[in-house]
Amino acid sequence: MGPRGGGARLGNADIEPALRFSGVVHRYRSVVALDHLDLEVARGETLALLGPNGAGKSTAISILLGLQRPQQGAVSVLGTDPRSAMASGRVGAMVQVGGGSGLPHGVRIGDLVAMTSRLYRRPSPVDRTLERAGLTGLADRQTQRLSGGQAQRVRFALAIVGDPELVFLDEPTVAMDVEGRRTFWAMMRGFAQEGRTVVFATHHLDEVDAVADRIVVMRRGTVVANGPASTIKAAVPTRRVRFASPGADPVRLRELDGVDAATVHGSEVVLDSLDADATVKSLIASGVAFSDIEVTGADLEQAFVALTGDLADAHTVDDAVALPVSDAHTGMDL
Amino acid sequence: MTGLGHYLRFEVLRLVRNVRYVGISVGFPVVFYVLFLNNEHPTARIAGTNWKTYFMVSMASFAAMVASLNAGGTRLAAERASGWTRQLRVTPLPAWGYVTTKIATSMVIALPVISLVELTGLLLGGVRLGPVTWAVLTVVLWVSALPFAALGVLVGFVASGETAYPLVTALMFLLSFFGGLFTPVTDLPTVLRHVAAYLPSYHDASLGWAVVAGRAPGADHAGVLLGYAVLLGLAVTWRHRVEESRAFA
Repeated sequence: MGPRGGGARLGNADIEPALRFSGVVHRYRSVVALDHLDLEVARGETLALLGPNGAGKSTAISILLGLQRPQQGAVSVLGTDPRSAMASGRVGAMVQVGGGSGLPHGVRIGDLVAMTSRLYRRPSPVDRTLERAGLTGLADRQTQRLSGGQAQRVRFALAIVGDPELVFLDEPTVAMDVEGRRTFWAMMRGFAQEGRTVVFATHHLDEVDAVADRIVVMRRGTVVANGPASTIKAAVPTRRVRFASPGADPVRLRELDGVDAATVHGSEVVLDSLDADATVKSLIASGVAFSDIEVTGADLEQAFVALTGDLADAHTVDDAVALPVSDAHTGMDL
Repeated sequence: MTGLGHYLRFEVLRLVRNVRYVGISVGFPVVFYVLFLNNEHPTARIAGTNWKTYFMVSMASFAAMVASLNAGGTRLAAERASGWTRQLRVTPLPAWGYVTTKIATSMVIALPVISLVELTGLLLGGVRLGPVTWAVLTVVLWVSALPFAALGVLVGFVASGETAYPLVTALMFLLSFFGGLFTPVTDLPTVLRHVAAYLPSYHDASLGWAVVAGRAPGADHAGVLLGYAVLLGLAVTWRHRVEESRAFA
């Protein structure tokens, strides 16, 4: 079956965006999860949804999947209501499954994907889906004999086997190693390039930078930043000043003008500065010896921290549990 | 076949291919039947029939109950723990489709399970019944397995992945022993006889015992089972709603 979605058909419903939240309010007792959320995702777009825990992402996700109804405001998915969109098989999703594999035990992967495909009206061929998800050699493997990363790929296969126009992926790479993540995003990009809409949430900000057309950052139930990665990074005043200075004293460096944070690794010094010009001037005035100075803009992680004011929540406890420590670390530094 | 039909077929095949499940659901009742076959004198009468026939009915009821409790309880709890139920919720399968498929799976499995115990009775126990009696017995035992199918699903919703297995085992033991499936109720102390009157296992087997003794299945037994089916069905619906509202909150 050929690519479908955005450009392939031009019915009335296709004029509608893939996803639209208008003034959505949702409360859990006294806690406001969504506070007049407005959000639109165009057909064919790949959108990253970011935000610290408690920002309202999970609520927004469960509403767009039709699992909860918004208490106030309107939500449309592919020009209809979320439940109808899901029931019609035009939406595929990979949801968070807690600590489990998200799969039933005692089934061959090929059989599981085949059964799931039959829940959809116009599914993709099972072989093609397995190939897309990088599972071709694993069709005969039993579900309980998979690594965490392989189980994630099976869930990706389940999300796309219905040939959906809109795919939602919540933390799709959480149990994967670095190489697994790279392969996963390559698969996902191939899938998105067929004109499909992809919305994903992740805590791995380096992945967002490389994959998303647009980023939406949520905080306290509303959108605080919305645009391509470059725009989001540019909106943040933080700059990174990097230079070599053997024997530098971090306490002294922190006192330089504009410096927000200073880290010293051997002779390498990294300063996060809110005013790079002032920092460089006061560095020269301080008489500290330095070489190889470099000033760069904020990376996405710095932008995220600046926007949400929340470093601790940028990486969840889930990540730390699901990944070996070394992975969790390199995953962020890549 | 609709999506639900495919899902049902998938679930049934998954169970049938599970050696441990088949061993517990069919193996145990058949082995118990063969072991206790000669516990009573061949000419002894019990509830209007002989022991081999009476006990075959007991073990067929037991088998259907064990098959249902294990199909629903243990496995459903494991699927909730693994997150599979959450993943299924984001497919076109309707929310009620999961529960009805689980109950239907138990019922589909119960029929061959009951038949296999009957076959053991015929071949190894020398049980002789007319073709109509065989057919009526099978249908009666099958239909009256419905409350256990619902009970299995309910346990699966209430228990966690760790507590489901011990809970199912405890229920199996309590329902079969106090329901008179191993020792006829008439041989139990008076107090326990009163307990049996409240258990679906007793009423389930009682319908079968009546059939093999050539009596009409009692409306009282059928009424109790129907009551159990309705109550457990309501409880399952309620737990399912709770689960749905919790799962993604």
